[in-house]
Parts: sequence; C-alpha cells; structure tokens
Amino acid sequence: MANLKDIQRQIKSVSNTQKTTRAMKLVSTAKLRRAEELAKRSRLYAAKMNQVIAEIAGRIKCNKVGGIDNRCFIEIEDPKTVDIIFVTADKGLCGGFNIQTIKAVKKLLAEYKARNVKVRLRGIGKKGIEFFKYNEVELFDSATNLSSKPDKEKSDEFILSSIEDFKDGKVDALYLVYNGYKNMITQELHVNKVLPVDTTQFECGEAKQSMLEVESQDEEKMLDSLVDRYVQYAMYYSLIDSVAAEHSARMQAMDTATNNAKEMVKSLNVEFNKARQAAITTELIEIISGVESMK
Amino acid sequence: MDKLKLEILTPNGVIYDGEAVSVTLPGEEGEFGVLAEHSCLTTLLETGVIDIEKEDKSVESILINWGVVQVDEKKVIVLVEGAVAIRGATEGEVAKALESAKELIESIKDNNPAIATVTARLESAAQNLL
Repeated sequence: MANLKDIQRQIKSVSNTQKTTRAMKLVSTAKLRRAEELAKRSRLYAAKMNQVIAEIAGRIKCNKVGGIDNRCFIEIEDPKTVDIIFVTADKGLCGGFNIQTIKAVKKLLAEYKARNVKVRLRGIGKKGIEFFKYNEVELFDSATNLSSKPDKEKSDEFILSSIEDFKDGKVDALYLVYNGYKNMITQELHVNKVLPVDTTQFECGEAKQSMLEVESQDEEKMLDSLVDRYVQYAMYYSLIDSVAAEHSARMQAMDTATNNAKEMVKSLNVEFNKARQAAITTELIEIISGVESMK
Repeated sequence: MDKLKLEILTPNGVIYDGEAVSVTLPGEEGEFGVLAEHSCLTTLLETGVIDIEKEDKSVESILINWGVVQVDEKKVIVLVEGAVAIRGATEGEVAKALESAKELIESIKDNNPAIATVTARLESAAQNLL
C-alpha cells in the first residue's frame, strides 16, 4: 500500500496540472474566436479573388488560340523539382495537430523520391522544422514566428522566392501543406497545389462580363500580376487558417487533459481513503494485540 | 441620382461596403471615375487614393497600395492588398489614420513619382475632414 503522504503529494500535483490545463484551454478559446473571425472575414476576399482570376483566365483560355501562354497555368507532366511549403505551429501541446501535417509532408516526400523528383522543403513553424532537422531531412528554407502571428508582408516575402523560381523554370510545382480549421472540434488537412494553377475549373463563361476597354495583351499582363497576388494570398490564408486550427486543436487537447486530470484526482482520492483506512486498521490491531499481551 | 454599390475588400476583411454616388479609382493607366450604370470593366489599380462620393456629398478617401477592380452596371468590387481609410470623428482619429496611411506608403519600396502626389492628396483629404 502506497504511503499516505506520497498519495497526498500526487493529488496536489495533479490538481495543479489541472489548473494549468484549464487556463490554457480558456486562453485558446479566446484566441480561437479572434482567429476564426479573421479567417471568416478573409474568406470574402478569397471568393472574389478566385472569381476574378477564373474569369480572366477562362476568357483567355477560350478565346485565344493555343490557350493560356503563361507558365503558371500550364500543367507540367514530368516535374523535376518541386517546392513543398508546410505550415506547423510554433508551440506544442495541441494534440496531433503538427504530426498530421508532418505525416502528410513525409508521404509527399516519399512519393516524389520514388519518382526521382528533387524536392525543396520549405518550412514554417518551429515544430515542423525541429522534426525534420532531427530526422536529418534537409530544409531548403525555414521561418519561425510566422505561423503564430501571421503577417501579410512577411508571408508574401517568404513565398515570393518560390513564385520567382517557378516563373524562371527552376521549380515545376509548388505545394502548400497545412492543417486548416473546419469547425470547433475538427481540423482538416490541406495539401494544395498552388502552382501551376489548376485551369480545369475555369470555364468559358458567357460574354456578359465583357471587358470593353481591355485588350487581350493587357489581359495577359493582368493575369500575370494577378497570379502573384493569388499565390501570395493562398499562402497568407493558409497561415490564418492554420492559426485557427491550432487554437481549436489546443483547446480540445487541453479540455481532454483537464478531464483526465479530474479522473485521476478521483481515483487517487479513492486510493488515499483506502490507504488511510488500512493504516487505521493496522493501528487498531496493534493496540488491541498490545493490550492482549499485557493481560 | 442613381447610386452604385461599392465593396472594397482586403485580405483582412471588408474596409468599405455601402452605396456611393461616384467613385474615383487610381487605374494603371490613369485615374478614372465610375458612376452607376458604368459598362463592365476589369482592370488593375496602382498605389493611390480611392475617392468615394456619398449621397450627402461627403467624400471619403481610402489609400491603397495595389488592387484590382471589377465594375459592372450595378456594382463595383475592389480587391486591394493593403488599405487605410482616412476617416474619423475627431481630429485625433483623423491624424491617427493619416499616420498609418503614411506608414503604408513608406512600406512601398518604389520610386514611383506618383507617390509624392499621393501623399499630397492624402493630406488635403485629411484637411477637408477637419
């Protein structure tokens, strides 16, 4: 039977942990609300951006002989170098949030390795970077503090080199891997191919939205400058979506931890009482047998 | 007078959503104004000031650093990268908005001669408000 004092100490320690996890849960809940709000507002922009780019690309695709003459829109069948950007959290204690992303990246890496494609891995977020460093996988580029505090300017800068390399022909595809927010209790893993842009979704719309004052040469110039923003925005959105997901994952993990601690305190209390009773019984027996022997 | 519906969106949310009588936009090939029933048009915008004339004749100015606009007969949708609205009820608020607007201009590392004009435009817009 365990020592009474030991059990008491354990109960105290577990209930202290419970206090911490409960506080962390509350903090994450508050942060989640803010992150969710930002992501929601941003989605409006995303929808319009997609619409504009689809419209222009769709028109060029349908009206011009030979389709779109821009590297960003042409599918490359036999890629030689691929950029993978992954987004993980800077902090842990959020359940399987980071591991899910890391697993997806590892799967992609193995896939491309089998096809003899060179992969340049670019990481955002301490946790993912640490993991790949520990496993001696070379990172081409990395950034920390970006996933916990998304900043449009910094994220633009980060992805710009990938966009430029793609346009120069040094890279043949660009993937974005991150764990996004679905609802309060679920996260959704995204493996998005941002470059080249998938043109199959662009349809030849009605000529209703005609561009009277824009010539087709300008159209292509416009598309070129739009695609930069489009990809940069995809990067930024993945960051804010990832923050929301991180907080929801942490909230959940901390909730479970609090509940587990509660259970543990309960069973420790039972054990404590049993030990106390046992001690009393032993003491009584000792007294009684002491009295017996005196007779 | 007919009104048009104007929406200005940034990656961080909506900065303007409402009705306007006319709107002046800094197009790539020069400034242009849009009234209601304007024909369809999609074009790029560069660093500059969007002037929104409202029904009560007041003008609101919004500084942008890059954008794309989609105009159709009823609606004008502007997507911008970074934007600061020059507005505020008190002198202090206007000054604060002006401050952040100047920060936005400074962040554009470009020797575009238009930027000087933009700064001047901003200050006069702020003056009008006071």
